[in-house]
Amino acid sequence: MSVIGSQTANINATAGMPPPRIARMRRATFFSFVGLGTFVGSWLMYTYLAEQGMRKAEWLLLATFLPLYYQLNVGFWTAIFGLWLMNRPKHDPLNLWRTLKPEDRDAEITASTAIIMPVFNEDVTRVFEGLRSIYLSLEQTGHSKNFDVFILSDSNQTSQWIEEETAWLELCRQLNAFGRIFYRKRRKPINRKSGNVSDFCRRWGKRYRYMIVLDADSLMSGGLLTSMVRIMEKNPGIGILQTFPKQIGAETLLGRVMQFAQALYGPPFMDGLDYWQCGEANFWGHNAIIRLEPFIKYCALPPLPGKEPFGGHILSHDFVEAALMRKAGYAVRLLPTTRGSYEEGPPTLVDMLKRDRRWCQGNMQHFWLLFAKGWHPMSRLNFAHGILSYASSLLWLLFLVFSTFLAATPVQHVNPQATLAMRILLGMTAMLIFLPKFAILLDEMITGRLHKPFKGRLLTYISSMADTVVFTLMAPVLMIFHSQFVVYTVLGKGVRWVTQRRKLDGGVDWAEVFFNLWPVTVIGVAWSVIAWMVSHSFLLWISPILAALLLAIPMGILVSGKRSGHRFGLFLTSEETEPPTVLDLMNNNLAEIKGRIHLPAELEKHHGLLQVCLDPYVNGLHVSLLRRRKSIDVSRTYLDQIADRLIKQGPNALSPQEMKAMIHDTEIMTDVHYRLWSARDSDLAPFWATAIRQYNLAASNPFTHTLAQQAETALA
Amino acid sequence: MEAVNIQFAPETGTEEEWNEAYARLADYFRSYQLHNRIRRTQLILETLRRAAAAHKKDPSRTPTTHSIEQARLMMRDWLAAIYSDMNLTESQIEAAGRLGFHLSGGPSRWPNFFLDKENLPPDMREAMRSAIRTSGPGMTISRMTPREMDLGIVSEVAEDTFDRLGRHPILRYSILIGIVGGVLGYLYHLLA
Repeated sequence: MSVIGSQTANINATAGMPPPRIARMRRATFFSFVGLGTFVGSWLMYTYLAEQGMRKAEWLLLATFLPLYYQLNVGFWTAIFGLWLMNRPKHDPLNLWRTLKPEDRDAEITASTAIIMPVFNEDVTRVFEGLRSIYLSLEQTGHSKNFDVFILSDSNQTSQWIEEETAWLELCRQLNAFGRIFYRKRRKPINRKSGNVSDFCRRWGKRYRYMIVLDADSLMSGGLLTSMVRIMEKNPGIGILQTFPKQIGAETLLGRVMQFAQALYGPPFMDGLDYWQCGEANFWGHNAIIRLEPFIKYCALPPLPGKEPFGGHILSHDFVEAALMRKAGYAVRLLPTTRGSYEEGPPTLVDMLKRDRRWCQGNMQHFWLLFAKGWHPMSRLNFAHGILSYASSLLWLLFLVFSTFLAATPVQHVNPQATLAMRILLGMTAMLIFLPKFAILLDEMITGRLHKPFKGRLLTYISSMADTVVFTLMAPVLMIFHSQFVVYTVLGKGVRWVTQRRKLDGGVDWAEVFFNLWPVTVIGVAWSVIAWMVSHSFLLWISPILAALLLAIPMGILVSGKRSGHRFGLFLTSEETEPPTVLDLMNNNLAEIKGRIHLPAELEKHHGLLQVCLDPYVNGLHVSLLRRRKSIDVSRTYLDQIADRLIKQGPNALSPQEMKAMIHDTEIMTDVHYRLWSARDSDLAPFWATAIRQYNLAASNPFTHTLAQQAETALA
Repeated sequence: MEAVNIQFAPETGTEEEWNEAYARLADYFRSYQLHNRIRRTQLILETLRRAAAAHKKDPSRTPTTHSIEQARLMMRDWLAAIYSDMNLTESQIEAAGRLGFHLSGGPSRWPNFFLDKENLPPDMREAMRSAIRTSGPGMTISRMTPREMDLGIVSEVAEDTFDRLGRHPILRYSILIGIVGGVLGYLYHLLA
């Protein structure tokens, strides 16, 4: 890899930054509509409430209504503007794809680019098969020579770490990619993912002009990767270019509904966001390209005041990095894409809630940054929208609570103006909620962007009706949980950094669903009793919310199951009907690995450890990679005792700390290898005696345990 | 390698112990992915012969232990012949050399020359030497330090408040109970 300077050829230093005049005009237009909608809605609400004079509870109700209605309007107008952009005959003058001319698409790429994938105890097979597909897709473009790939591991589970090392080596061997695909493991995962990325920037950032950040479940086509670099080259004013990652690979009902909804409704929302965010868009943490020089110079994250969870290390680093990049004078842009950028979503409701709790805490932390000096006003607004996306659940809950108590102390609405105001407000709210959905559906029916055949469009229509039911049932449950997350964060109850589950192994865990959702059902029962006591008409009014709360457990089980409507052709996305080559290749390889015969469960659980201790090549690899580090000063006697226990009692006899101390030491790891092979059967723990007997039978190649065995050299 | 002495008759140790040592060596050499059984058998017998001599000198250790130790010594000698001029320590040679043999395709391309330092083919030597890998390209260290950020007066006040509340959990929960109690009291007032 030749090192190429980190200065972009100077075409026009600000190219890519939308002209301020256009940005101002767009925002003025957009926020005029939003402001008007919010004002009209709030005025109608006030008219209704103030008929007999405003009581304190009514003021509180109005206070919660206002931000909720603002948020509703932002969503509505974003979708409407997006639809308009997608359908207007004239091209969007700010569309970044237009900066590429036909001849640019074949021009040689001279900029050095690092594709980085931070991982933390992720499914090794999925990570490396995904990378294989990305790499091969990139090779196929013929412009891959200045791209390097880095797997940046923070995995703290021994077997996971060893499997990552072996998968890396085997992938490099199969693809002949030594010197192109690199693996780096941090000893101490300081500052989690953002710390992992910063560590890369400090060590190797100067070698590259761009960095493409991927998540462990990301998948990107070579065509899009090269286009992103070309766009960055043509637009030196852009600091971060974010693509729209479409969800793929879902198997559960929830996953497929979200995947479908994102495929159908996502593109207009993305276009709409691009319309009003202009050069002050957000970075979503992955599937994006970053200009490294300003990123290293300006985007290091400061610690927040106070302790975690509200202060301390910034969890949702992406929004802050986008704001810092904009503060440094570089644009942060969205790149509207329909193919080539993919990610996976959570498979079950409980997994989604776990993810949301982490995101909630991250967004709530941005409260500190709202008032910091020097931000672009739009960056401040982005922070506020992030906070509101979770705080709105609490506001909605309070709105419903206030409504319940106001219904318990009713005033007579005799003024026809007040009654009319309420009717208009109800109609307007229904329009804000459902019109974008129906407009997007109508657009799909006419244009067939998702599915060309008529049958496909018809099934899209039916699926859209069905997803409305699923989301209607889920929304109140999410409201309760998000409210709880907000309160927990403020009270100082933080979340641990855990690995996301991306696939459902086996069936639905009924106990997990029950233990997480029973409080929601209890709230539903209590609220139903109160509503019934208040009035029957109020019970009817609030029944959709209460029904969702009461049905939380069966709904949680239903959406987490694998009966996802696939066989009826429901919730189909174009990635399912016509998978892109990059996805097809990955899926084929994953299927090959799934069909393999495995070792006994106990050996399989500790497979990485087993390999590093027994296999001479895996041991050699691990020790060779460790050699590059400065070893920690740990007592030899202590390590000897640990090794002795490992050999005589098996892996379960060691604590994670002991395992960590041992696995990081080159001498003891070499020593353990020989001590295990030299010990008599009677001196070995049953685990090792079985392992020695069975290992050679199972390992035709020690490095392909987690990888497909065929050496793919080209994409089909 | 010297000719294999088929007449293997150790002077120390029991037959059972040597059988166990044989089985262990068989598994050990198999873990090198040496699929040539004749070669594996040659290696096992040669290692056992050396182990028998070592066991005679030190019968306190088991034949299995002596066998694996002899295998290790043979490996060190062989790898030293390949990597001796590469400025690596003995233990580095041991780890990287094993890996180098795998990466150069040694188990399938040159199984007959495994542990045979006398007849090492030059292309095998070269392939093993060039196969030593590293985990990343050369580093070019950059500084990435956060810049000063003025969080503003609101954050200052909030920080002080949160800090105080954080230090006094009783105060924190009293405020929470006060708020919840206030809301419930007000609602009771409305309903009354």
